[in-house]
Amino acid sequence: MIELAQIDKTYTAGTVQTPVLKGISFKIEAGEYVAIMGASGTGKSTLMNILGCLDKPTGGHYRLDDIDMVNLDDDALSHLRNGKIGFVFQQFHLLDRATALRNVMLPLIYANEYSDDARQRAEKAMAAVGLTDRMTYKPSQLSGGQQQRVAIARALITNPAILLADEPTGNLDSTSGAEVMAIFQRLHRDGRTIIVVTHDRAVAEHANRIIVLKDGMVAEDQPVAQPRNAEAEARALAEKEASK
Amino acid sequence: MRILRIAQEGARALAGNKLRTFFMMAGTIVGIAALTVILAVGKGTEKKVMKRVNAFGTRAIMVTAGGGKGFSPPQEGITTLRLEDAEAVRTQIGGVDVVGSFAVKRGMSIKAGVNQVQITVMAVAPEWHDAWEWYAADGDPITAEDNSTMARVCLLGTLSASDLFGSQNPIGEDIQIGNARFRVKGILELRGTSPTGEEFDRRIVIPLTTGMRRVFNQDYITNIRVKVRDSRQIESIAGEIRQLLHERHHIAPPKEDDFAIFSAADIAKMARGISGTLTYLLAALAGLSLLVGGIVLMNILLISVGERKKEIGLRRALGATQGDIFRQFLMESLSVTIIGMVAGSVLGWAVSIAMARLTQSPVVISWEPFALALAFALVVGVFFGVQPARRAARLRPVEALR
Repeated sequence: MIELAQIDKTYTAGTVQTPVLKGISFKIEAGEYVAIMGASGTGKSTLMNILGCLDKPTGGHYRLDDIDMVNLDDDALSHLRNGKIGFVFQQFHLLDRATALRNVMLPLIYANEYSDDARQRAEKAMAAVGLTDRMTYKPSQLSGGQQQRVAIARALITNPAILLADEPTGNLDSTSGAEVMAIFQRLHRDGRTIIVVTHDRAVAEHANRIIVLKDGMVAEDQPVAQPRNAEAEARALAEKEASK
Repeated sequence: MRILRIAQEGARALAGNKLRTFFMMAGTIVGIAALTVILAVGKGTEKKVMKRVNAFGTRAIMVTAGGGKGFSPPQEGITTLRLEDAEAVRTQIGGVDVVGSFAVKRGMSIKAGVNQVQITVMAVAPEWHDAWEWYAADGDPITAEDNSTMARVCLLGTLSASDLFGSQNPIGEDIQIGNARFRVKGILELRGTSPTGEEFDRRIVIPLTTGMRRVFNQDYITNIRVKVRDSRQIESIAGEIRQLLHERHHIAPPKEDDFAIFSAADIAKMARGISGTLTYLLAALAGLSLLVGGIVLMNILLISVGERKKEIGLRRALGATQGDIFRQFLMESLSVTIIGMVAGSVLGWAVSIAMARLTQSPVVISWEPFALALAFALVVGVFFGVQPARRAARLRPVEALR
């Protein structure tokens, strides 16, 4: 499903060449829940941009659903992002002036075929993240956790091949963070492929496999024997808060 | 359609920031409003000019006794213009259709029963009717026989008729001009206002011979009215008449003319007068405000591209192509100028109508300014929108999202 072979990424500024990724190779099968971990400066964000088809590697091959994105032009990459990738960002990146529902519908605008049931699909996606009663709210009227759930609904609306989350809990308190991780686990149980990029081991341990980057190379690639249960954590945190 | 969905995104962005949108629009609104006013005033002026020229006669040349540059009535006591001059014009100048001589006296005391008014009296040759294309609306015109018999008959302008007789029919009635009695034989057609603002319809017309010998007691005339065959030749014929009269009156520079010549072309120039200059000034102002408005629009768009980097990056991440982003921004700039154009047109119309009311000068509202404004709006919108749109489209999503 996802196959990275000897991915290199070198930034060139004038005559200075800075290699960031050095020969990254791994495969991710459909339905996996993978965390990509690393300290800052290890090439985590660069890898995430390549996985999300926002940037091209300077060497190697990346196949997504048997499409080698390295050979695609900008328009084709845009269509690939639209159809196959659902992004969840640390900063949510919602349009301030649009309602939650409109934000969720945004990717459909750029789909080649606009679905007549766009609204129903958006409502369904909002229901999947538990925000049925917040459809017409503007982002500023929602809590951080709710905003990130809107972003997840937006990522899901095109039914993408992979859900790609970049530090999804980085801007959230621990309760909301646990809730977001619980949603990911639930989506994983439903068969969705999820990649979470994070520097936080606690977050990574919710996944079933952890790939650790170091100096632009894969330092570790291990399955997680006993993934943490986000739902239980979220419940515990909520109870603790309630008893305060 | 994808393009419609993108246009809708642009419209939402505009609606979302109304103050910014208004500033983007302001230049277009002012420019288009000014343009609309100019065209309305210009058309109004042209209508006024045509009205004046038509009242004067489109194929008419007027020779007036006495010099001077302005279009003035003949000066009292200028005796140099004679019937022989009129005859010379008729026989020696080509392209002349009709020559009608006449003598004018202003402010003559006229009596009809108990009513007494001061009215301009014109003593006219029979050709005068044709030369002016001004006939009797009622009753009969001044004829050759009236002139040869020195008949004491007259025609009244419609205003003279109502001044003297009210609503009563004056035909067949007598009036007194000076000490002589005249029979009213007809009413002149309505003619309107002269180029100098005089009421053409407050006149009394009598035979030329009667006027010269019995009323004014003079052997000279005050005006020669010439009608040419082709209005396009009017200025060259006016020149020939001037030359002929120079010869006949032995005038050579530096001696000043003892007559003045005005043609329909001169009347048009005079009627346009200052409004022509004003129109150019306003047009320059409109052009300038459209240009400045366009530059402001471009700058605000460029700033907003910077401010909206995150939005652009997000849209690109979610699948917008460079073309989608380019079209959205171009659509925003075009929407701004087109809405600005509609607002500007409405404002321009309102100002035009208000100006027409205040200055009581004619203003013509027509579709042309609207069409022109639409063309301007499209040109400004595209010209000043392309650069920001291109810049937005070229943002790399990775950098925009940072």
